[in-house]
Formats: sequence, C-alpha cells, structure tokens
Amino acid sequence: MSSSRRSSQASSSSRISDDQITDLISKLRQSIPEIRQNRRSNTVSASKVLQETCNYIRNLNKEADDLSDRLTQLLESIDPNSPQAAVIRSLING
Amino acid sequence: MASADKLINTYVPEKDVFALHFLQSLSNLRTQNPLNSPDKSIDRVRKIKKAAYVSMARAAGGTSRLWSRALLRRAAKDDNKSVRFSRRKRKVTWKISSKRKRSNQRAPVVEEAAERLRNLVPGGGGMETSKLMEETAHYIKCLSMQVKVMQCLVDGLSPK
Repeated sequence: MSSSRRSSQASSSSRISDDQITDLISKLRQSIPEIRQNRRSNTVSASKVLQETCNYIRNLNKEADDLSDRLTQLLESIDPNSPQAAVIRSLING
Repeated sequence: MASADKLINTYVPEKDVFALHFLQSLSNLRTQNPLNSPDKSIDRVRKIKKAAYVSMARAAGGTSRLWSRALLRRAAKDDNKSVRFSRRKRKVTWKISSKRKRSNQRAPVVEEAAERLRNLVPGGGGMETSKLMEETAHYIKCLSMQVKVMQCLVDGLSPK
C-alpha cells in the first residue's frame, strides 16, 4: 500500500498550539485503558502516549487476527444441526 | 483553513452497528463461497479478516473518516474494484501550504513516535500530526469495538 507520505505533509496547521496538542493527547489518552496520568513534561508524555498507542493498536490487530482464525475454524466445523448453527442462521437471515 | 478551536469528533456508533455490518459481510461471504468449496483454509481466514476490517470501516462511517476511507480504498484496490467516493464538501485535510515545511515544529521525539503511528493507522501517511491523533483515537475505539463483536461471535459459536 502506498499512501502519500511527506510530500503532501501540510505545515499550514502549524498554528495549532501546544495547548491543542495537549488536549488532543489527553483525548487520545482517554481512549487507551493502560495509560496513567502523567505529570511530567508535555513532550515526554506525548511520545509515551504515542508509543502506548502503537502498542495498543498492534495488540488489537493481533487479537483481530486470532479471532479471525478461530472464527474461520468454528464456521468451517459447525454442525448444521447444532443450536449454534441455528443462532447464526437466524442472525444472518434476520 | 483549520480554525484554532475546531471540535474534535470521536463519536463511535454502538456495538450493534458493528455487529450488523460484520454479520452482513459474513453472510455475503457465505453466499459467494459455499462452505464446501475447495478454498484453502488460510484463504478463508484472510477473507474473514478482510470482511472484519471492511465492515468495521463501514460501520464507523464509511468515507466520512480519513482512516476508514483509506481502509476501504485499500480493500477495493485488493479486489481490483473501483469504489465510488462521493465528493466531500468539507475541505480535505492535506492541503499543500505555500509556507516552507517546518520540520521541527514539534519535538523530534514526538514526531518519531508519530511516524510509527502513521504506519499503523490506515491513511496515516498523508496526515498532519494533530489530525493523525484525532483519527487514531477514533480508529482505536472502532477497532476495539470490532474485536469485542468478534469475541462475542466466537464465544457464541464455541461448543459449550
């Protein structure tokens, strides 16, 4: 996948203040369960938050991978007469 | 043109929306490929994983968010399909400014971490850092929602 990289990096939003960055980072922080409130300087906590975010996303991707695996196995091996199959059928057709 | 006080929208739909889209995707898969077709198992896993991401992108707002747009575009390219995108009335984020690029506008350590993030979030490569963070917050919420849905499905299907 080639998404456009730095060539179109806009610097016109450079007017966004540090306050806004802090605000955005705190919003981001709220989305991540593991991050604790950090009293250190903006810069240090910012990169920590971003790092934790990367880890969190990687974990979610891994979970999605594993669940896809299991789901595939379950769907393949499902016995058409079992109650589970009936549930699926009703969910899909409902 | 970004105003200094623009509202950051991180609204994410309910779990049901994700579940519905995912089940619909799955049922489409089943009608396309009857279960006993000679598909290799790993192909099926790939298809289901793709269905999960695509349905997540649709549930999350389709083409109205940068990350979901990028995801859907990538998926369509994989299928060699062309996806019709409606023209967004809103100004696109990545406009090229006439100002010189200020590479040290933020601390390098922040930009370095942001770069890693760009590789993980669909469409991140073209985003300015603050937009990247907004999109990331939304992406994370949707991704965890999708994972929850899949977990529920797996739990429901697993033999007791």
